Amino acid sequence: MSTSASALEVESLTKVFKDRGGIAVRAVDGVCFKVKQGEVLGLLGPNGAGKTTSIKCILGLMRPDSGRIALFGQDAQAAYPRILAKASAVLEGSRNLYWRMSVWENVTFFAALHGAASPEDRQYFGRLLKLFALEDKRDTEVRKLSQGMKQKASVVCALARRTPLVFLDEPTLGLDVETSLELRSVLKQLAREEGRTFVVSSHDMHVIQDVCGRVVIMSSGRVVVDDQVSHLMSLFRTKAYRIGLRGPSPDGLHARLAQEFAGATVTEAEAGAEIKVNLSEDNDIYRLMDVLRSMDSVIDQISREEVDLEKVYLEIVREERARS
Amino acid sequence: MKLGNVLAAVFRRDWTMMKRYMVNSVSSLMSIYMVFMLIFMGLQSVSRYASTSGLDGSLEGTIVGFFVWTFTIYAFSNLSWNLTNEAQTGTLEQLYLAPCGFKWVGACTIVSDFVFSFVPIMLLLVAMMATTGKWLRVDLISLVPLLLITLLGGHGVGFALGGLALVFKRIQALFQIVQFVFIGLLVIPIHVPVAKYLPLAMGNYLIRRTMVDGVRLWRLPPADVLIAVAVGAAYLAVGIAIFSWCERVAKNRGLLGHY
Repeated sequence: MSTSASALEVESLTKVFKDRGGIAVRAVDGVCFKVKQGEVLGLLGPNGAGKTTSIKCILGLMRPDSGRIALFGQDAQAAYPRILAKASAVLEGSRNLYWRMSVWENVTFFAALHGAASPEDRQYFGRLLKLFALEDKRDTEVRKLSQGMKQKASVVCALARRTPLVFLDEPTLGLDVETSLELRSVLKQLAREEGRTFVVSSHDMHVIQDVCGRVVIMSSGRVVVDDQVSHLMSLFRTKAYRIGLRGPSPDGLHARLAQEFAGATVTEAEAGAEIKVNLSEDNDIYRLMDVLRSMDSVIDQISREEVDLEKVYLEIVREERARS
Repeated sequence: MKLGNVLAAVFRRDWTMMKRYMVNSVSSLMSIYMVFMLIFMGLQSVSRYASTSGLDGSLEGTIVGFFVWTFTIYAFSNLSWNLTNEAQTGTLEQLYLAPCGFKWVGACTIVSDFVFSFVPIMLLLVAMMATTGKWLRVDLISLVPLLLITLLGGHGVGFALGGLALVFKRIQALFQIVQFVFIGLLVIPIHVPVAKYLPLAMGNYLIRRTMVDGVRLWRLPPADVLIAVAVGAAYLAVGIAIFSWCERVAKNRGLLGHY
């Protein structure tokens, strides 16, 4: 199952919960993915997609019903809890800290649980605090910090354990734009400089797009996409078109487009109507032109729509929901 | 993974927490002392009303029982209450990420709790003896091992309740009931059938022999000491087994970090 270059391998991971009525809910349903050493993987999905459950199963905080997990080639379940020497996590952000202890006390405590307590380790903790701009707050009790600082302190505590694999579950949840940007920038720097493997689960598309090289999109407990972020973006960039019409849209255009191109939208503006459409095949653009010509629409301009990960994600999740 | 690092870290954490929650620590000791005062005054008035001179023996027994009860309550509540609290504040899952395993972090916490509660409870003992004018023998060489043996059962109950708290979450009412059950276990005379096989009872009896009668550890009947060790170890094992079962249920249901 394992290759030496893999930091994490998840194979057919399944976790079923029973609700109060005894009905089985498949929170994680046959999930498979691999993470290479030094890779930064994004785990994306709507609420209830199974991201956190997958992470907790990997870390042994939940017992999966079936499936295999390997960390750096070792079977995680067989080597539990020793295997945790290779992994750390931020699971609930600021809730992962002792609020009555200072930032430094928290960092040294959690790092010591992983055996990181040498003078060299302490120097590294100091470096982390500096990177995260928490140096001045080193001796401040966590309860006195802002939400953003608490969140950053929580990430520092996970990183201070000096494990080769780090899970960050919603690391920017509740952060303002500036703090989120700052956190992303530091994470990128650390991933680049230290060669550690990161698995970042987030609702924040900007975090994933900015920090991660690859993304696994989950929906209803299943992996629906596993691809490089750049590849996914280019794929959707070539599919998404914006067509400006001279004047308003002719009668029946809405219905005709909806019938032939799923998800196509037409908006009326003063300058003329605008069509937004995703074309899944190469000859679709000719088909679209034929439709517009047959309805006597005059095309003013055609452009590829700018896509970001948020649009890509929404498209994928909607498609997946429609399919299921 | 060096267990020494974990133990040192737990000691530092508990020392820091004790300093930060000093008012709480002192006030809880004060309230225990006030409860003792009420019992003492009650015993005095009963003795005066009944015009008996039998208070002497029961008073010394009461001091020892109260002393052992305080230790037990600290041991049991630190374990089960901290577990509930850690789940509530969100740090429990982080402790579960320790490569040595959560049980060893828990074991280090028990050692640290004993050390940090020892001095304050000894001060409470001195205060109780000063109030009553009954000065008992405090032979630490005999007392500390006997306390550790007696607390095994208390820790067993702590593990069991901690495990139940992982699954059922709000069981504070049960914690309070157990405190009163402990009082019952400490006042049961050891000659009552089956009493010596209940948690705390035999240990409390041996501590009373040491503190009241001045019998040193190695002068105590070996069979009694063995029973106290076996009973304590059995309750601890049962407590750990219940905890492990509950932990498994909590992990199956994904309840570890919930509150």
